[in-house]
Amino acid sequence: MARITAGVACSHIPALGVAVDFDKTGEDYWAPAFAGFDWTRKWEEQEKPDVVILVYNDHATAFDMKFIPTFAIGCAESFTPADEGWGPRQVPVVEGHPDLAWHIAQSAILDEFDMTIINEMEVDHGLTVPLSMMFGKVDKWPCRVIPLAVNVVTYPPPSGNRCWSLGEAIRRAVESYPEDLNVQVWGTGGMSHQLQGPRAGLINREWDNRFLDQLSGSTDALRYIPHIEYLRETGSEGIEMVMWLIMRGAMGQTTEQLHRHYHVPASNTAVGHIVLRPVPDAEASGEGVGAAA
Amino acid sequence: MTAPRDIHAYLAEMDDIPGTRVFTAARARQGYHLNQFAMSLMKAANREAFKADERAYLDAWPMTEDQKQAVLDRDFNRCLSLGGNIYFLAKLFSTDGKSFAQAVSTMTDMSFEDYTAMMIAGGRSPVGQRSIKEKY
Repeated sequence: MARITAGVACSHIPALGVAVDFDKTGEDYWAPAFAGFDWTRKWEEQEKPDVVILVYNDHATAFDMKFIPTFAIGCAESFTPADEGWGPRQVPVVEGHPDLAWHIAQSAILDEFDMTIINEMEVDHGLTVPLSMMFGKVDKWPCRVIPLAVNVVTYPPPSGNRCWSLGEAIRRAVESYPEDLNVQVWGTGGMSHQLQGPRAGLINREWDNRFLDQLSGSTDALRYIPHIEYLRETGSEGIEMVMWLIMRGAMGQTTEQLHRHYHVPASNTAVGHIVLRPVPDAEASGEGVGAAA
Repeated sequence: MTAPRDIHAYLAEMDDIPGTRVFTAARARQGYHLNQFAMSLMKAANREAFKADERAYLDAWPMTEDQKQAVLDRDFNRCLSLGGNIYFLAKLFSTDGKSFAQAVSTMTDMSFEDYTAMMIAGGRSPVGQRSIKEKY
């Protein structure tokens, strides 16, 4: 059976992609932002995931104001990097996993999540920047990717609780897929940032780090943070962090933190990154400790 | 499930954040054509046509005169007030060859240099910036 082996979260700031594409990651400004991903690139080489379910938001690229799906899953064979107004990023085409994607779509709909299904779509920096951060500059992405796009642009976006619950439904779907696949779930966007108006440039280091703290262990406090708290505390674009909760929900009840990184700034934004391992229920409650040793 | 929310209270809170225009349904409706105009600049041929004659290009869209003038003036705060969304407006400042940070800084009361320095120093503090009514 397929299994979810890890969760990864990170910001998807477009300027990080530019820094990778134009070999600027060693420059004084960028080096500290990228340093926290060295560990993860080595770790991913050992983990060798077959599929990444990549939760992100489209930034007026594939979706304009004509259609605004709350949760949309990419079921195509492949997804081409989009021209966002300055030419497409020179990164590999993203190969999908239509069979697993359709399985998740069907399972989630039967589980009462009314997913939008996408059969053709270009993908923007929200999806390709996290791939660059975790896999570096490569000729071919080392795994298949299922894009899961969330509306966090037009209000109201889904609640944190709904996102967490969708993550739980994705876990059930993956665990009922018959093929033996190593699956990771990534949540992207954030952390604190505001790209508009006189309050632009807002950063909240303390709040961001409390959010990172609460992703590991067995607390589910994060799922109850209301939209207004993200807006007030983390800037108008900090709301993207609800997408991290889909990843967290997919980890099950308890997680262990393997790695963490936080840096301010990258352009207008706080860079946050965390790697989580789901802890099996028996082990988390102490029953499995002897057996594991 | 969490408890059902009062939509009116929810929307009222959205308007209680200093220096911020949350992209609510009301703004999305007001700015529909402004945002779709901006979206059209994703195509190179449209960018060329816009640059050749901005006024004529804008006149082909059913936007209000205020919206057209805000675009011509590159007054991004005004564009936001008239229903623009920053990810759509990004197509406009990309057409001008401006980065996100450059465009964003024009919406503050700071120069680009001062804005960049503020970000390197840790960004804008949320203290006093969270609520218009409560001032915290």
